[in-house]
Amino acid sequence: MSNSKILQADIKISKSKDIRSLPGFSWFTLSFFIYLYLPLMILVFFSFNSSSSATVWEGFSIDWYFKAFANDDIQRATKNSLIIAVVSTFFATIFATMAALALSRNRKIKHKPMFMGLIILPLMVPEIVTAVATLTFFSTIGLSLGIGNIIIAHTVFCIPFAYMPIRARLQSMDKNLEVAAQDLYANKWETLRLITLPILVPGIFSGAMLAFIISIDDFIITLMVAEAGSNTLPIYIYGLVRKGITPEINAISTILLIISIMFVTLSYWIGKKR
Amino acid sequence: MSVAIKADNLRKIYSGNPPVVALKSASLEINDNEFFTLLGPSGCGKTTLLRLIAGFESITAGELCLYGNNISNLPPEIRPVNTVFQHYSLFPHMTILDNVAFGLRRLGTDKNKANSVAQEMLDLVHLGEYGARKPDQLSGGQQQRVALARALTPQPKVLLLDEPLSALDLKLRQAMRSELKRLQRETGITFVFVTHDQEEALSMSDRIAVMSAGEIQQIATPDEIYERPANRFVADFIGDANFYDAVAGKHKDELVEYIIDDITSLKGQRVESIKENDKVTLAIRPEKVSFVKAGDKDTLAGTVSDIMYLGNTTDYLVILQNNETIKVRAENHHNGEAIANVGEPVSLAINPAALRILKK
Repeated sequence: MSNSKILQADIKISKSKDIRSLPGFSWFTLSFFIYLYLPLMILVFFSFNSSSSATVWEGFSIDWYFKAFANDDIQRATKNSLIIAVVSTFFATIFATMAALALSRNRKIKHKPMFMGLIILPLMVPEIVTAVATLTFFSTIGLSLGIGNIIIAHTVFCIPFAYMPIRARLQSMDKNLEVAAQDLYANKWETLRLITLPILVPGIFSGAMLAFIISIDDFIITLMVAEAGSNTLPIYIYGLVRKGITPEINAISTILLIISIMFVTLSYWIGKKR
Repeated sequence: MSVAIKADNLRKIYSGNPPVVALKSASLEINDNEFFTLLGPSGCGKTTLLRLIAGFESITAGELCLYGNNISNLPPEIRPVNTVFQHYSLFPHMTILDNVAFGLRRLGTDKNKANSVAQEMLDLVHLGEYGARKPDQLSGGQQQRVALARALTPQPKVLLLDEPLSALDLKLRQAMRSELKRLQRETGITFVFVTHDQEEALSMSDRIAVMSAGEIQQIATPDEIYERPANRFVADFIGDANFYDAVAGKHKDELVEYIIDDITSLKGQRVESIKENDKVTLAIRPEKVSFVKAGDKDTLAGTVSDIMYLGNTTDYLVILQNNETIKVRAENHHNGEAIANVGEPVSLAINPAALRILKK
């Protein structure tokens, strides 16, 4: 946020050297966005194809959406995905909130930067490593809870995603607000309940949205951990693709895409609110 | 008169590497119903002292009593003391009324009663109409008054104010000074006010504690601080002053000749604790020096080297015969003409009573 503001100010000062005034800049930008979004647009486009081909257009229809909705397997996978996402988001957000509060408000904790690094580190560990590690861990301790295994795994890797917006919100909060509450006879719990948490809500919400979307979208870890019958939507789609692509897959993917966009937008919007 | 706050050798060291001594040792007594100001430059320890009284920081050593009760180890939510913060720190997610009623609600007052007291307090600060708004819908000056109302509503025994006017513009700041003074009179609550602004301190306070480098330099009424500063720091920090190193000479009745050098000496009052040949620092306020006709007795001769016009007064820099410079402040004539021009020889007189003799 502040970085982009500084950047804008810089650009204003050096208008003569403004990169936007270079010839061909707008074409370059346009081709960049086409590169990013054309595949998605094609996917969405063919989800409305009336034929069973995902590559040859024959006419408009929304039949594939009805077919997708009526498909029992898809329903089951969607249900699994939602349960996993909701439950793991819930727990990940609670853990992330507690971690953020402890690391920014508890004076007794030492080596805070190290702990912060440890919380965020999973973002940088290759997902396949986490996936293999999780699988090995579960089979070592003999844990076999079906969908529960996936929930535990998702909760863990969602924590850093939920943590970051919550921490950002907490950092930007005036610390004197809590001091003022205590000065006005609120004890620590009342201060947390009446001041800190209400002000933190947008951050918590934003973190929960991110965690939810990360969980819904996850493939590699879920593939490793999932047992028979606990397929999630991404894994089901992967299975379908191997049999051959039909516009049904396009339809499901489009729905997933819309949900993702919705949540990311919501997360950004809520996080921006003061 | 009872004592509201008694601090006994309060000391605050922030642990760290190296540890920071924020308050070396502070002892003071603040009277009941007094407007008491902690004045000093930034980093002098005045805010630390305030935060120790509020309970936001733990005391490293010493003892703090509130109306005779030792509160040194009480957490802030138990001390009957409230604070007005420098940047107001109003709760952004609550309405103005909820902000102001917050303290009473936490003390267990029921909602209707708390709200009606809060409403009265908002009326007192002329914001009765604004109860339903949120803090970000008010101007800085209005937020300032909400912060005041919020801290006064639980009727604290002592109100602490941490540079509450520093974020306001000049006109508003001046208006708030008399507003604060009025609130203090009307509520009868002891105010402890922290500021670095000497004008604020002089105009509002019953008594002032001037602080520097983690220590209290002087505690006195505003006129005493100005007229009889305890040391060079106080004389220098409050108002303008000319300083000269001198040696005390022989006394004649109650007057002593203070010798600056071979050709310059000033007559001043005798100070009990200073004996002949003691080294002293002389402090003279520029407005206490006057221009006189040449040839009068006990005058200093010099030449005007610079003139600064200040509206109602003018500052003249005069170089004396021993090459020292003295600043003289004189009221301007009705026609605004200068009393003396640059390069003109002048004679100056200093009333012995106006000479401050500071021990070195």
